[in-house]
This record gives sequence, structure tokens and C-alpha cells, in this order.
Amino acid sequence: MITIKTLSDENLFTAGHTACPGCGVAMSIRNAIRVLGKDTVVYVPASCAVVFGTTFPYGAWKVPFFHTAFENTGACLTGMQAAFEIKGKHVISAGFAGDGGTYDIGLQSMSGAAERNDDVLYICLDNEAYMNTGIQRSGGTPFGAWTTTTPVGKKIQGNRRFKKNLGDIVTAHEIPYYATLSIGHPLDFIRKVEKAKNIKGFRFLHMFTPCVPGWKIDPAKSVEITKRAVESGMWTLYEFENGKKKITYKPGKMKSVKDYLLMQGRFRHMSEEDIKILQMWVCKKWNLHYKEKGEPDICEIVQPEEHHGITEEHREMHGP
Amino acid sequence: MFELRFHGRGGQGAVMAAQTLAEAAVIEGNYAVAFPFFGAERRGAPVLAFARIDSKKIFSKTQVYVPDCVVVLDDSLLDTIDVVSGIKPEGSVVINSKEEPDEIDLGKELRTGAIDATSVALEILKAPITNTAILGALARVTGIVKIESIEEAVKTRFGERLGARVGERNALAARIAYEKTVIGISKGIKKLETKKQWLPSYQELPVGGALIEGRTEAGLIGPGSFIENKVSGWATFRPVRDKAKCTMCLLCWFYCPEGTIVRISDRGDLMTNYDYCKGCGVCENECPVDAIKMVRGRV
Ligand SMILES: Cc1ncc(C[n+]2csc(CCOP(=O)(O)OP(=O)(O)O)c2C)c(N)n1
Ligand code: SF4
Ligand code: SF4
Ligand code: SF4
Ligand SMILES: [Mg+2]
Repeated sequence: MITIKTLSDENLFTAGHTACPGCGVAMSIRNAIRVLGKDTVVYVPASCAVVFGTTFPYGAWKVPFFHTAFENTGACLTGMQAAFEIKGKHVISAGFAGDGGTYDIGLQSMSGAAERNDDVLYICLDNEAYMNTGIQRSGGTPFGAWTTTTPVGKKIQGNRRFKKNLGDIVTAHEIPYYATLSIGHPLDFIRKVEKAKNIKGFRFLHMFTPCVPGWKIDPAKSVEITKRAVESGMWTLYEFENGKKKITYKPGKMKSVKDYLLMQGRFRHMSEEDIKILQMWVCKKWNLHYKEKGEPDICEIVQPEEHHGITEEHREMHGP
Repeated sequence: MFELRFHGRGGQGAVMAAQTLAEAAVIEGNYAVAFPFFGAERRGAPVLAFARIDSKKIFSKTQVYVPDCVVVLDDSLLDTIDVVSGIKPEGSVVINSKEEPDEIDLGKELRTGAIDATSVALEILKAPITNTAILGALARVTGIVKIESIEEAVKTRFGERLGARVGERNALAARIAYEKTVIGISKGIKKLETKKQWLPSYQELPVGGALIEGRTEAGLIGPGSFIENKVSGWATFRPVRDKAKCTMCLLCWFYCPEGTIVRISDRGDLMTNYDYCKGCGVCENECPVDAIKMVRGRV
């Protein structure tokens, strides 16, 4: 088993790349490839990671790297792996796609590869919006968050939809391995990447990756934020293996989402009422993931007052 | 027509500075345009913005190649970029620098106004955002707009977006910079060669754009070639590690997004390669024993 101490020194994603200072995507990529090692071939679709990792003719990747379009990570991985298999080469085909490239535009392609259980590693770098093109909302953007397409106005403030439950969509394909990761939990992170490396079939690693300008955060806090996300239930660390789901880190006591929201400019406008709505969404998830059999619900679910943008349909889908 | 080129780094607000200047010119009854160079630059990477001011309508839409004035928001750019390229001989330079104008080597002797805008910004705004301070200096050096118009434009533009108080603070930063700017003549010693570009003919281009590692007149290309891209100029603060306190937990080494903290002496110690440190401060924030301190400037 790899630990921080035994993790490779080799920078397979070299220094000199052009990500913003404190970029959570850069941290995650660097450490993932350290675990995966040099017998890996990488595909990156249109995203921040393709721009800061490669600006033709320069690049940070020291492993074979491939890029075509935005929506086809799953299909490209399948094709790459098939080609290497025919050539008799044993490599890991790993794709690093953004949340936009996974939750939205790349969903069908990912689903195809998952359905075929192709022997590839799909990594989603979830920074909760389309960052490369200047912060537009994606299916991964949380409720309340400001983006340029969910602006803060007088009537409606920030994103009115809830973060899509990608984990359930992916695991519904009955793949051998799906896990959620956070860079602020290094041992869990390393263990899951190593596990995914050694499993055959379609593996999916879902990484929570803070974005400095997109979340309007202090770059120094980008790791701390991931810990607060997990402690408040805004991000859950679990894995799904052979049809079974297992929580890999259980916070002691649920912290208020406020603890997490206040560190980020993208949430700073949120009204008490909106915070309550988001808190209830988190409570529901928390009870689903963390509550042991027979335990009472951890959160008091408070009925929100009438709120613009929240329809009856929303209520049905996302709780009272 | 008066043409300006702004050199900054992503996140420093060069575009906002150009736009605010244009607004100040409009307040005075002139015509003005401002626009950025469109690229994929992230925070900290060198960026460009342009502005034109005239008493008549402006029809020119190109980038500014022969500026009357060059504004430099970050003097670390001088190491790698010929900021005064194409400037008119009688043109002027406004630069954010701790040094006096006659200590600054621009490769040309030019009328130069220097202001330590970073210190002004850190003091007044509590953040190293220098775009409003530099506008104060610009008003002083060029006289193309009055400082009062800059103050008004700053108050409206920043006030609208960030609240009246932030607007006021930024206007104050501009005023203080206006008063503190030192004007002189820059040195014209260094010969700056702009980095060559790799421009292969189409026959030389590999099929599918697939590159292997190689060295060209533009330096390394292909896998891992970003290693020749020194990004130290992006940092305002840099980490200093107290070896005595450090427990070698390796968390900073793990988290550093740049991979600039490296393990040495048979993995028994750490070293920070400042060539690639962008000064994010994650290592300081995460060190469990507070062994790392961020300090301003070069170390
Ligand atoms: C078909 C297509 N549509 C739009 C784009 C423009 N585009 C490039 S990157 C990007 C955003 C990527 O967002 P995400 O996948 O979340 O990655 P991030 O940049 O946030 O890491 C967009 C919209 C494109 N390249 N191709
Ligand atoms: S915009 Fe966000 S994701 Fe993109 S490089 Fe900057 S910090 Fe990283
Ligand atoms: S300040 Fe940021 S880039 Fe510099 S060494 Fe620390 S973590 Fe790395
Ligand atoms: S995080 Fe602190 S204690 Fe740990 S290795 Fe770095 S400097 Fe040393
Ligand atoms: Mg994204």
C-alpha cells in the first residue's frame, strides 16, 4: 500500500504548468499521476486542465497525452485502451475530465464506456462549474452558488438547482469501482487511486477540486475548504465496490453548512432562507449516508417558507 | 489619439484598469475604448489590455502596437517581456515598482513614473490588487486624465460591483499613488530578447500534432517541456520553512499544486524550488506545526 512517505518523487506532471496559484485541480492531477505511475496514458478533454497542462507545443505531462474534443472522454478512453490491447501493451488509460465534461456534455460518452465496462479509469475533476470558459453553471454546481450564468440579482440569487447526484448515475451502471475523493484527505485519496489503478473494468474516481477564482476563495485555503466540505456534509467520502457502498470517512458531528459557505465569495450573498434550503438538502444526504440503522435523523428538517425558484416539483425531488 | 498598453498578470485587474481609465476619459467629454487581449491566461500569467482616448470618435479596433504610454502593473514582468516594445520615443511608462525610475532598466531611456502600488494596495485595500493605485500614477505621469476623473470613475465602477465603501477605498488608493509617484528617466541598458516561438512549416508538423520530447529554437517542446516555464514572477509572497520545527510529515510536499517542494538528501529533507512557487500559501496554511511562513518579496 502506498502512503505519503512511499509516494513517488517523480513529477509526471511537471512544475511550470500555468494553473492559478492554489488550484485544486492541479493538486489532484499531480498526486493522482504520482500514484498511477508512468505506464499510464492520459486523455484530457477541453477544460482548465487541458489549458494549464498543455499549451501547444508545450506540456506538463511526461506520460503520453491525448486531447481531442470536449464531450468524448469515455469514447476516447475506450478507443485508446483497445488500441493498446491490440498492440499487446499493458497501460492504464486514464481520462481527466471536468464536471462540465462529465455531468453534462460528456455524460453519454461516459455512460457508454461504463455500460460496456471497458477497462479504463475515468477521473472527474469536480470544481462545480465550467471554469475554463469563465465560470458558467454546470450540473455539478451547488444550490445558491454564484456563477456568471446564475448571477445574483434582486429576485433570484445564484443557482436555483441542486447538485446532480452523479455518484448514483455512475454506480447505476453496476461498474466495479466508484469513489469520491478529496485532496484534503491524503491517505484516503492515495488509497482510492491505488485501488482504482489495480481493478479491471470501468473505474470512476470523483475528485472534489476547489477553484480559486471560480469559488472566490483565498488560494491558501483551497485544501482547508475540502475538509470543511466533508465535515459539513457538502461532500461525502465513500466508495462503491461490487454493488456495495461504503463510507470511508465519517465526520464526528455534523457542522453547519455556514461553516463551509462563509469561506467562499460564490456563496456570500446567500439569504438565511436559502442557507436553510441548502442545509436541508445536506441533512437529507447526511442521513442517507451516515445514519446507522435505528439512529434518529441527525438534522431537524425545517419546512422552508415559500421561496422563488423552488417549485413543487423541486420539493418532491429534493425533500420538504 | 492617445494609445495605451497595459501589462499585468491575470487577477491583477489590468482589464479593469484599462476600462476605468476609459470611463474617466469619457467623464471629461472624450471618446475612449478599452479591451483585453483574448487568451487562456489564468491568475498570475502575463496578460495584456489596451485603451485608446481621443477627442474624436475612435474607429481603430486593433491591438496597440505603438503606444504613447505603457502601464506595467507588476515589475517582475520586466524579466521576461519587452514591455516597451514599439513605444513612441516621446512615450511614457507607468510602473509598479519599489525602485526609483532611474534605477529601472527598461532597455530604453523613457520618461517613467514609478509607484510602489503593491504597498499602497496592501495598506489601503488589504490585498495586493494594484489596478486602482496604478491609475492614480497614470494620471500624474501622463496628465491624459485628471486625478479627480479617475477618482470618480473608480468610485462608480468599483462601487457598483463591490459596494460604495470598496469604491471609496480604491479611489483613495488612486489618490495616494497619484501623490507618491516619482517621475524620472529609466535606464536603457539591457537588451531584451523576446522568447522565440516555435514556427514549423506545415511539412514539419507531426501528424495529428503528436509531439515527442525535443529541443527547438523556442526551447524544449513536447512532454514535460513546461519545466522551462519559470513561474516565480507570479508570487507576491514566498514560503520560508523553519527546519527546526518541521517534522517531515510531507503534507506541504503532497499539497503543493506546483510540485516545487522537493525531497532531497535521500528523502530526509525538503527544499523549495522558488522558480516554480506561485506563492499560493497552501503550504503555510496546512503545515500542522506552523513551520512555514509566507514572506513578501524574493527569498
Ligand atoms: C463542444 C464544445 N463546447 C464548448 C467548448 C468550450 N469549452 C471549453 S472548456 C469548457 C468548460 C469546461 O468545464 P469543465 O468540464 O467543468 O472543466 P473546468 O474548466 O471547470 O475544469 C467549455 C465550455 C468546447 N471546447 N467544445
Ligand atoms: S480557474 Fe480554477 S480550475 Fe482553472 S486553473 Fe484556475 S483555480 Fe484551477
Ligand atoms: S506557496 Fe504554494 S506554490 Fe509555493 S511552495 Fe507553498 S504550496 Fe507550493
Ligand atoms: S507540512 Fe510543515 S511539518 Fe510537514 S513537512 Fe511541510 S514544513 Fe514540515
Ligand atoms: Mg468544472
